[in-house]
Amino acid sequence: MSKAEYTGPLEPMGCHCYRIPKTYKPGMRVDGHIYANEKLLEAIRKDQAPEQVANVATLPGIQVASIAMPDIHWGYGFCIGGVCATDPNEGGVISPGGVGYDINCGVRLVKTNLFLHDVQPRLKELVKQLFHTIPSGVGRTGKYKFDPAETRRLMGEGPKFVIQRGLGVPRDLDHTEAYGFIEGGDPELVSDHAVKRGSEQCGTLGSGNHFLEVQVVDRIDDDQVAKAFGLELNQVCVMIHSGSRGLGYQVCDDALASFRNCAQKYGFHLPDRQLACAPVDSPEGRKYIAQMRAAANFGFCNRQLLMQQAREVFAAVFGRSWEDLGMELLYDVAHNIAKLEEHTINGQKKKVWVHRKGATRAFPAGHPEVPEAYRAVGQPVIIPGDMGRASWVLVGAPGAMEKTFGTTCHGAGRAMSRTAAKADAAGRKIDRELEHRGVIAMASSRFGLAEEQPKAYKNVDDVVEVVHDANLSRRVARMRPLGVIKG
Amino acid sequence: MHELFEHTADLGLRAVAPDVNTLFAEMAACLMSAIVEDPASIQPLHESALQLAGTEKDYLLVDWLKELLLRFEEDHMLFATFDVQVSDTGLTATLRGEPVDPQRHALAHEVKAITYHELKVIQTPQGWLAEVIVDI
Repeated sequence: MSKAEYTGPLEPMGCHCYRIPKTYKPGMRVDGHIYANEKLLEAIRKDQAPEQVANVATLPGIQVASIAMPDIHWGYGFCIGGVCATDPNEGGVISPGGVGYDINCGVRLVKTNLFLHDVQPRLKELVKQLFHTIPSGVGRTGKYKFDPAETRRLMGEGPKFVIQRGLGVPRDLDHTEAYGFIEGGDPELVSDHAVKRGSEQCGTLGSGNHFLEVQVVDRIDDDQVAKAFGLELNQVCVMIHSGSRGLGYQVCDDALASFRNCAQKYGFHLPDRQLACAPVDSPEGRKYIAQMRAAANFGFCNRQLLMQQAREVFAAVFGRSWEDLGMELLYDVAHNIAKLEEHTINGQKKKVWVHRKGATRAFPAGHPEVPEAYRAVGQPVIIPGDMGRASWVLVGAPGAMEKTFGTTCHGAGRAMSRTAAKADAAGRKIDRELEHRGVIAMASSRFGLAEEQPKAYKNVDDVVEVVHDANLSRRVARMRPLGVIKG
Repeated sequence: MHELFEHTADLGLRAVAPDVNTLFAEMAACLMSAIVEDPASIQPLHESALQLAGTEKDYLLVDWLKELLLRFEEDHMLFATFDVQVSDTGLTATLRGEPVDPQRHALAHEVKAITYHELKVIQTPQGWLAEVIVDI
C-alpha cells in the first residue's frame, strides 16, 4: 500500500475485538472497536484504516464506539467496513461520507431450481448471454429509459413502480431490505444533475467491484437455516452487486458540497474534510436524509431491474419461464446506507442513526424487520467475496445487536490497490486463469478483471470466520463462482 | 506533468506544474487518463467554455474536476485540451473535446466522484503540486 502503516494502539479485548482507546488522539469521544483476528490485523495495520476509525470516533453524538469490520480497508474519510451510530438527542450528526458515494450499494441473491449438472454444459452460453444483455462498464446505459418525472417516481416509490410495469412480482418486495422502500425520502429535493445521471442507468451494473455472478452452493454450514432460506448443496444461484449508480454518487456529491461549512457553523472540529457532517436536526442534515433515502430507493430499483434481466436471460437460455426455473429472490440487502433504528444502549432503548459504510445489516431471529419467512432463523446476510474463490450467505446473530448495532461485514476487503493489482496482472490472462479454476469471466474493460483479480482481495473465508466466531452473523452456505460478468 | 497514484480501492490524481493555471489543466488531463485508456485518442473537435466561482484553490480544484466529470456523465463528453485561467475569485476555462465514440475510446474506469479526502493544492519550491483521490 502507498500509505504509511498504522502504528497506534490496537488492544485485544477478546472475542476477536481490538480496541483503539479514546485517549489515542484528541477529540475522540468514544473508543474504536475493530473486529479481526491476528492474521487479518497484520493486513489492517498496513494502511491508515485504523486511523480513520479513530477519526470517526470524534463525530458529535457518536454512541458506544466507532466500529470496524474485519474487511476494513482504507477509504476516504470513513474507512470501508465502518459502522457509526449517532444519537440525534445528543447533537448526533449525519455524514454523507459515512454512507459513501454509492448510496444503497448492496447485494441480492436470486435462487434457481437448477443444479450444477444442469448449468455446467451451458455455462459459457449463459455467461455470454448475461454479458451481452446486462449493461456493464463505464458509460453503458440501460435498456430501460426513464424520463426525469419517472426517475423521481423510482425514488418516490421504489421497485413497486417497476413491478407494476411487469418487471418483477410483488413477492420480490417481501425479500428486499425495508421491503424495497425507505420512507421519508423526498425525490423533489434530489438535484436535476443527479436525476440526469440516473435516468439512463437504472438496470445497469456499473464498474469497479460491481458484478453479476452465477454461483453454486458448494458447502452448507447450517442445515436448518439453509433449509429456511431454500438453499441446498450444488444449487445454482445468481448474485448481484450494484448500487444507485450515478444518481447516488451525485446525491452524495451535492451533500458534501453543501456541508462544506457545517463544522464551522455548528461548532465542531473534523480531522478530515471527507468526514463532513451536519447535525441530524439541522436544515442541511434533514435535506441530506431525505435525498439519501430517495437515492436508496433508486438503488433497490436498479438491483430489481438487474435481477429481472438475469431472469429473462436464464429463461431464454434454458427455454423455460423464470418462474418455472424457480428464480425467486432470497434477499436483497444494502451495505452503504444510514438508517434510523432502535437499539439498546447501556440498557436504554434509543433511536440512533446507524451509518453502515461497507457493512451489512445483520438482524437476528425474532427482529420485527426480518421478513416473516425468515423471522424464526434471522435475516439473510449476503457477503460477496472475490471472483475466483467464494462468497457467503450468513444469517444475522444476536451478538450483532449487542456489539455492532446489528451489523456485520460486507465482503472480502481489498488486499491490493488497483494500481498494484493491475501491475501484478501484467503479462497474465486473468480470464484464462479463472477458466482453469472453472470460472467463466467476462468484463467490459481491459482493466476490469486485472484490478478485480482474486489476489487483490483478502480471503473472504478469513473475514467470515471472524464475524461467525464473534457471533455477529453465522455461516449458512458457501457459494463458489461459476460465471462472472463485470464492468 | 501528471500521474495516477495508488489508493487501496480507489485512484489518486497527482500533478505538478510551474503555475496554478497549468496545474489545473494537468489535473484535468489526469482525470481524463483515469477515465480513458488512451487520452491521446480524444480529439479537440468541439469547444466549450466554463466558469466557476471560488476563493479557495483546493475547493476550486474539486469543483473544476467535478464539472468535467459531470459533462462526461451527462453529455458523454471527453476533453483533450484545457486552457484555464485561475484568479482569486474563481476560474474561466476553454475546453476542447468530443463525445465518447466506443469505436475509438476504450473507457478504463468509472469515476464515481471527486473526493475531498487528503485533497492537496500546495506551492512547492519547484512550483505547484495537487493531489485528489477519486472514487472508483
